[in-house]
Amino acid sequence: MPPNKLPHYLRTYRKRASLSEKEMAFLLGSKSAAQVSRYERYVRLPNLEKIFAYQVIFGIPPYHLFAGIIQKVEQNVQRRAQLLIAKLEKESQSRKTKRKLEFLKGLVSKISSTTPENI
Amino acid sequence: MSTSDIQFLRVLAIDPSPSGFGYVVIEEPSELIDFGTKTVKGDKNFESLKRIEELINYTCPHVIIVEDITKKGALRRERVRRLIRDIIKLAAGQKIKAFTVSRLEAKAIFSRSVAFNKHQIASIIAAQFPELRPYLPPPRKSWMPEDSRMSIFDAAALALTLLRLHKGKHLKDKKLH
Repeated sequence: MPPNKLPHYLRTYRKRASLSEKEMAFLLGSKSAAQVSRYERYVRLPNLEKIFAYQVIFGIPPYHLFAGIIQKVEQNVQRRAQLLIAKLEKESQSRKTKRKLEFLKGLVSKISSTTPENI
Repeated sequence: MSTSDIQFLRVLAIDPSPSGFGYVVIEEPSELIDFGTKTVKGDKNFESLKRIEELINYTCPHVIIVEDITKKGALRRERVRRLIRDIIKLAAGQKIKAFTVSRLEAKAIFSRSVAFNKHQIASIIAAQFPELRPYLPPPRKSWMPEDSRMSIFDAAALALTLLRLHKGKHLKDKKLH
């Protein structure tokens, strides 16, 4: 079953701007158009500097540009937070543990209510 | 994940042409994700299917739309008819639902927007998706062959017709062909 969102929408926004891969590579400061093609075909992930360059070029925050990746990261963090909650709940309930649990429960509910569509 | 977990629909519409095929990928409600033409040489159906498979892997569509070749108004040669049948089989093999839309259904939908011929329909689509404007071919004269870029607009017309006919609801659970 395909995921709800594509990992990223770099090709979508490039095509919307009618830019060629070569022009995109120039704007990003990449060596060649092949690098852009690799990003767009999910072969490579752009580094942080390139991600911000994409944001600057298209004016779209990474949360939307990399919607599918963010969705996956959110699911993973949520799952790990739930595991950590379960582990902490078994421990003695010190003030520090209570504070951690409060934070983690808030995190889980925040992720549940946050989807790329709602942002 | 069950189909009810999918919060929105991504459709891939394919329109075979004499030189290959044109395609669009639209996410509901009407966001154009990808589009283009692919030119193939040699065994056109085999090469087209190879590229369509790559496209499916890249865009992960929930639904594939092709022209209904069984209905009136489908003037397609045997090779293209075979290709369309193979695309439906390919979709079934990948557990993706394939829908068919006839030319007449598309014409009926776009005639509401006072678009009666291919160029008028393409102009309306280009107005809806500004990124397609550079690809809009000039009006075809009777002695001119069809511009290969027209297959992008034909594919978009199929996708928009299906989405408008059904407004995206229950497409995953309903088969039209």
